[in-house]
Amino acid sequence: MARLDDPRFAPDCEITFDHRRVPARAGESVAAALLAAGRALVARSPKYHRPRGPFCLAGSCGSCLARIDGQPNRRTCRVPCRPGLSVESQNTILGADHDLLAVVDRIYARGLDHHTLMTGSRLANRAAIAVSRQLAGLGKLPAAPPAPSPPAVEERFDAVVVGAGPAGLGAAEALAAAGRRVLLVDDAPVAGGRLRARLGLPGDPPGAWVAEVLQAVHRAGGEVALASAAAGFWRDGGPLLGVLVDAAPPRLRAIRAGSIVLATGTHPQPPDLDDGDLPGVFAARGLLALHAEHGVIPGASAAVLAENRGDEEEAEAVVVRLAAAGVPVRRVEGARAARGTRRVAALLLDGGGEVACDTVAVTGRGLPAADLARLAGARLRPDAFAHFELSADGLTLAPGVLGAGELLGPRSAREAADEGRRAGEAAARG
Amino acid sequence: MGGGVAKRILCACEDVTLDDVRHAFEQGHRDLESVKRYTGFGTGPCQGASCVGLVARALARLGATPAELAPFTARPPAAELPLGALAALDPDALPVVPGVPPEPEVGLGEEAPRPSASLPPQARVVIVGGGIMGLGLAYQLARRGLGDVVVLDRGYLNAGASGRNGGGVRAQWTTPTMIRLARRSIERMRDFATELGVNVWLRQGGYLFLAPDVEQAARLERNQKVHEREGLRTRLLSPREVLEVAPELDPSRFVAAAYNPDDGTVFPWPFLYGYAARAQELGARVCTFTRVVGFESAGRRLTAVVTDRGSIACETVVNAAGAWSKEVASLAGVRTPNRPTRHEICVTGPLKPWLDPLVSVLGNGLYFSQSQRGELVGGMGDPDEPEGIEQGSTLRFLVRYARALTGLAPITAAIPVIRQWAGCYDVTPDNNPILGAAGFDNFLQLHGFVGHGFMMAPAVTEAMAEWMTGGAKDEIFDRFELSRFDQPDLVREDFIIG
Repeated sequence: MARLDDPRFAPDCEITFDHRRVPARAGESVAAALLAAGRALVARSPKYHRPRGPFCLAGSCGSCLARIDGQPNRRTCRVPCRPGLSVESQNTILGADHDLLAVVDRIYARGLDHHTLMTGSRLANRAAIAVSRQLAGLGKLPAAPPAPSPPAVEERFDAVVVGAGPAGLGAAEALAAAGRRVLLVDDAPVAGGRLRARLGLPGDPPGAWVAEVLQAVHRAGGEVALASAAAGFWRDGGPLLGVLVDAAPPRLRAIRAGSIVLATGTHPQPPDLDDGDLPGVFAARGLLALHAEHGVIPGASAAVLAENRGDEEEAEAVVVRLAAAGVPVRRVEGARAARGTRRVAALLLDGGGEVACDTVAVTGRGLPAADLARLAGARLRPDAFAHFELSADGLTLAPGVLGAGELLGPRSAREAADEGRRAGEAAARG
Repeated sequence: MGGGVAKRILCACEDVTLDDVRHAFEQGHRDLESVKRYTGFGTGPCQGASCVGLVARALARLGATPAELAPFTARPPAAELPLGALAALDPDALPVVPGVPPEPEVGLGEEAPRPSASLPPQARVVIVGGGIMGLGLAYQLARRGLGDVVVLDRGYLNAGASGRNGGGVRAQWTTPTMIRLARRSIERMRDFATELGVNVWLRQGGYLFLAPDVEQAARLERNQKVHEREGLRTRLLSPREVLEVAPELDPSRFVAAAYNPDDGTVFPWPFLYGYAARAQELGARVCTFTRVVGFESAGRRLTAVVTDRGSIACETVVNAAGAWSKEVASLAGVRTPNRPTRHEICVTGPLKPWLDPLVSVLGNGLYFSQSQRGELVGGMGDPDEPEGIEQGSTLRFLVRYARALTGLAPITAAIPVIRQWAGCYDVTPDNNPILGAAGFDNFLQLHGFVGHGFMMAPAVTEAMAEWMTGGAKDEIFDRFELSRFDQPDLVREDFIIG
């Protein structure tokens, strides 16, 4: 069983992966459909042609890229399924499963240093340059140029909130309550951020809250832009925000706002393990959302690995849900390696021994998604990795730019929502 | 995996392993900016989102300091921006501005790492500036037996224009002198890997200059005749013939082209690391994160270089500080006419090979090529860019570049930009370098290369080292002396791109 037995999750269409048919549900991500069909391997790595597949399931890593409908290097976790969608693996000979170029990983078992590779003779060097060029690069050029994008015009809002997790929703709620016209942006197709994992922890905002905030934003004349990535702030006197709306063709929107609240959260970090890049290793939060929203059961046996301090609630949720779906699950505290050929088959433990599993859920602190804040003028504290210098209110990152939620450090969803509200109130005061 | 030896991948986008990071650290690349450039981690599709934390933890375990663990400078865009979507904005609505992120960049400001090793108290030669010129000269001096050389840089290696350029190398210039230097440089680059043991990934895919109108076409014709006399293989191509070299271009956008198949591109970062590593093996010392704050002098000679970490007594000082050379010269009371000017550049995601030559358009300054890794690397000068050291990135550039590029190569509209940055051209009034002594008998100048220093460095530093170690003095060290700016009738190089 790869999906929960529930009509809400039943496939209703087909896509193709490397010309083979895969059942899918329209609207779910390509990665969700492939995982539900038991396929974790969707790509090969650029240099060693190691097997790769979705890790973060949240649009931040680069492990699941494929050619989709003729467009190279698309994230399978971000492209929605529709009937007949064509998904092709890239950068392989004979497809992702049996890529002949995987031999590179064995030939260069101890690594390949691009500085010193093939410098012995001029002839060998010329050959290395010619061959490596053919091997480099991921996808092939698109077959045809896209239709021209419509002209982008400047739009104005009272405030822009980036990130529709608990902190961003809290900020948008406070801004809307103050009558402000707010643009709430998230690159995910669904609002909620980590609430999408539906942990239901004590103190978590109630389930209906997400929809209530979105309605409040609309009522106050604002807009919710999902599947829209905030691509950056470029200053030119006032802050200018370029928003890429991921539609076909992609459209760029130039947004100006009186204030900006950043609630961009964190990027999950892969596990620090030998062969920890194998398909079947996932960020726990992404896996939980996939289970909650699409009923996807990612494998037949699982391990939950705590990395970088772990996260007890997420780990427990993975255990409970997969066990309820009949998947044996083990908690693992310290592992040194993953093992497997095309997909993870076991975790090797620090103290010796191993846990057989085809799925690993990694919990732990992510890396603050700080790029937008830094582009907007926020400064990192020199004495602490990736944490910000904040003004006295604990929220202001730069003039006109506030932060909230896990971007600023570890916080529960409730704390993040409260902090978001404070940031929204401060932004509404201007 | 699959019967092979396990790998601990820290950066999945570029397949960078823990061993790669450890090796970089052992080679002295300890901070995240340097490790990024040495290993390539964080430069792929995720732009560091899924690896900066892992790499920082690995470096911390190896002993890196908090300052060395500052996450590398944030570069826009924070999400992929397809060129076609960018072209839909109006560039004229976007003024020329300093750009983002606000200065200072990581590793270049007050909070930069502080090296623990002390500076040598004296050296025969101190070179100010650890870019391609300074490091190339240090290597060339050391291999001629003059290893008592110290190279100083205010930041990490590759922090300046040498680490920020598009890697283009061409012999298509307008004067015999420049053509001779460029050809010699390309020859040296061909042998770089076997001579220095380091790849610079020289790929001779040619340079294609496009003329959008008959006036520019006439320039190409004039140049082609010079090239023919000098023995270059430059050919004039019709728009139809251009499609054989670069099939994705729209031939209605130009009337003629010049193509030299021997021009090409290199990967800039290893170039510096190669020179630095070999120079140090031969006795030179390279001191990064060290800022020159003044000079000591006696009569017509400089006697010491003063830095924020102490002074170095020396016999010769070389000013190879690129865009900062005017500032460095002024610390010695020497006025130079350099005008540092920002030039912006960007890369797309990696694609399989589809473009062989570097393409450049006369008139608007657009240029682009496909790197060895498959990214489209390109830039475009902005006539409204003011003088000044500014390395921020602007939306205006992206939009101007996207419009010009997607107009010329419509297929690029589908490709997203994943990273943009900027560096400074070191511009001079005649677009030629400033060489020879200036102000003091032992204050040698090696700057003013106007965006093409990278491709000239192998030949120029070789000739300069030859001269400094008692060999022949190349005519360029007289021709391009600072004093020429006092004379009328400057001969101006006009084949500057970008």
